[in-house]
Amino acid sequence: MIENFLLGSSALFGDPLTLAIFVFGVLGGMLFGAIPGVSMLTLAAILLPFTASLTPTQGVMLFAVIYCTGTYGGAITAILFNIPGAPENAPTAFDGYPMTRKGLAGKAVGAAVLCSAIGGVASALVMMAATEPLAKWAIRNIGPPEIFALVFFGLAVASSVGGRTIWKGWMSVGLGLIIATIGQDPVGGIDRFNFGFSDLAAGIAFVPAILGFFAVSEIFVQAEKTAKGRYEAPPVNMEFPSFFELWQQKFAVLRSILVGFFCGILPGIGATLAAFMGYGEAVRWSKKKDSFGKGNIEGVISSETANNAATGAAMIPLLALGLPGGALTAMMVAVFQMHDLEPGPLVFYNSPDLIWVVFAAMFFANLSILFIGILETKTILYLLKIPFQFLAPLILLLATIGSYIGRGLVLDVMVMFAAGIIGFMLRRSGYSIPGIVLGIILGKIGEQNFAQGMQMVHYDLLDYLSRPVCLILIVAGTLTLASGLHKAFKTNHASST
Amino acid sequence: MKLQKKMGAGLVACLLMIGASSANAFECKVKDASMAKPGGFPDRALTMIVPYGPAGGSGQVASAMAEAVTSLTGVSINRDHKSGGSGTVGMTAYMAAPADGYSVLEHIDDASSAHALDSSRPNPATDLIPLVISQVTFSQIYIRTNEDRFNDWDSFVAWVQAQNGKATIANVSKEGSMERVTMKFITDASDMKIQQISFDKGAPRYGALLGGQVDALFEQPGDVRKFLDSGDFKPILTIFGERPGVFSDVPTHVEKGMNFEPLLRFRGFYVHKDAPADRVKWLQWAFQRGYCEDSYQAFNEKKFMTVIDSYRDTAGAIKLINSTIPQYREVYKQMGLDVK
Repeated sequence: MIENFLLGSSALFGDPLTLAIFVFGVLGGMLFGAIPGVSMLTLAAILLPFTASLTPTQGVMLFAVIYCTGTYGGAITAILFNIPGAPENAPTAFDGYPMTRKGLAGKAVGAAVLCSAIGGVASALVMMAATEPLAKWAIRNIGPPEIFALVFFGLAVASSVGGRTIWKGWMSVGLGLIIATIGQDPVGGIDRFNFGFSDLAAGIAFVPAILGFFAVSEIFVQAEKTAKGRYEAPPVNMEFPSFFELWQQKFAVLRSILVGFFCGILPGIGATLAAFMGYGEAVRWSKKKDSFGKGNIEGVISSETANNAATGAAMIPLLALGLPGGALTAMMVAVFQMHDLEPGPLVFYNSPDLIWVVFAAMFFANLSILFIGILETKTILYLLKIPFQFLAPLILLLATIGSYIGRGLVLDVMVMFAAGIIGFMLRRSGYSIPGIVLGIILGKIGEQNFAQGMQMVHYDLLDYLSRPVCLILIVAGTLTLASGLHKAFKTNHASST
Repeated sequence: MKLQKKMGAGLVACLLMIGASSANAFECKVKDASMAKPGGFPDRALTMIVPYGPAGGSGQVASAMAEAVTSLTGVSINRDHKSGGSGTVGMTAYMAAPADGYSVLEHIDDASSAHALDSSRPNPATDLIPLVISQVTFSQIYIRTNEDRFNDWDSFVAWVQAQNGKATIANVSKEGSMERVTMKFITDASDMKIQQISFDKGAPRYGALLGGQVDALFEQPGDVRKFLDSGDFKPILTIFGERPGVFSDVPTHVEKGMNFEPLLRFRGFYVHKDAPADRVKWLQWAFQRGYCEDSYQAFNEKKFMTVIDSYRDTAGAIKLINSTIPQYREVYKQMGLDVK
């Protein structure tokens, strides 16, 4: 493995053009990842036709590098402005933005930079060591029933984040789950809740909903404060997290690497579920559950470690089996095909050079996040010094473009503003915005896998629970819910006496 | 054993390539190598609305055709992916776009089946003008090559019948889809009950068969070519009137006593019926001639789309759509669906 890695590295750094493409991918991924709604997918779609004129190794390597740095890029805007660059950065905003409001933006961004790099590098190392056996293990042992159980397990704990009370947290998740049902049912394709609007047949897209609930509602909140003369600009603090602070989070990092890697390796799942699950597990294991959603650095660390850990893992089913884990890895299939190649077991025998250059490039791209990220942070934090009356229209403009650009539908812009207004009102009443977003994203993934899983076990719940992974996750999730209920009743009882 | 598998896979790949090239005795049906632009049309880039994502089958065919037409005519084509709702969102957006010939639509047979189920939805043969259908393919049933419970169609049917409805097959079984309708034909004719599991994305669908989460897979050969080449999947039934050369060892549904007209998967390009006639004529030439471009032919060959005749000009496309719609409608009524 080490010899192959060195050969891949020398091929990467030995050829000036390949190196230039690598640098372009690193910077382009970070930049596009940071622009809300635009995301690394837009860059990849723009570049796709041009990869035909590159060698297959350069083309696939470029996309792999964009995947690594683009996944990190969205964390910066999530932390500084409450605008996640992509759905996989949404949980980063849960605690990252409250940290910015408290004047801890430097710590939050520093933690995101470092943990994205750690998650990505760890994932790249495992990818290099055991791509083929891991891919085969995943598809044999994890199917739709297990993915639903995983989503249920994640929802059970994370549902309490951000609400003024547990009940409000759960109701927020419930609202998100209801929103997720708009469109078509994921199995039969039957229209539901689209009220005759054909554009709604595709459901509520993640990006406009996230931009609305996070960015637009935040602008309304700050605008209200400004109107009442209570607005205070967040203090800009360049202080990075200390070694001691980071060392305290070592278990959170390790746990998030495992969670992110596990989610990333599942075909069709990818980094979004990884980030939410990583965050959920941070809440589950924390002794200070109430501090999540209010600026706990562990929330940022867990989400960013997990989503970058998913990048290397998502390459495993792609390269070993030809099964892409998400939209960007699906585009990588097109890059392979443009060069008469197919990702899958044969690519290891037919193109080992390509594989090891890609592995090496992903490893170094994740390392670059660390160095470039630190430099980038020192400049980007100054954006916070822009007065609110100038910053707010800029954010609104970016969010509007980001909402529209994905599908080119005015409906998505309307959804963004509606989400902003609803989010503003719900926040005033103590409901949880992270909970709603969690419900929307995990609801879609969960429902589809629940329906498929039920079909696979012929609607027999005992058969479903006879699958060991399902049984463990469902029981653990149910216990978590029961414990939450117990706590909620206890709190109600205490406040009424 | 591993070597044997690899050799077997290599042999299959070679046979596929030989078969595909022998079926590809290609002759371009559009003789004119150039055509004057009517009144200067188009004097700017065309927009191609694609109702599916860029990485799927539609996205790829749209990209290949756009490249071919641009290389032929020098006119750029911007692809606008409006995915969602099984093609509904893209179709709605296209019907709302100006009918000036600058917007074209990529769509698949789902547009025909959607109209068959609900006649208020656009009929691709009358509300649109097909410029060209550039991919036509058939479906097959696949199993894992290392499967030990059954190894051909007959043993598969016997095994499924013994499971009392507990056998599973992965496909895209949306209500009224080509896959679900064809599976109804098959299960009725072979007296078996099988649970269809709908996966809307390819990767989880193929992963489900590879990992043994399901027992079989319904798919088109071009989409699973890499798994055929690698020796992971093997077809046990071809749903087509005759055995295509590359699959000469796979029985057809007709040979197995299933007498239904196979439904084909087809992808093509359309323009609004109200677009000016001279512009439509130029677009027909550009897209039909684009089909003949080397780059497009290479793409189709790679995608297994030269195994049977993939080309339909406007008249051929209308005939194909018009024969498909009543067929769907008939079976929808049999399935008890609300045909509007």
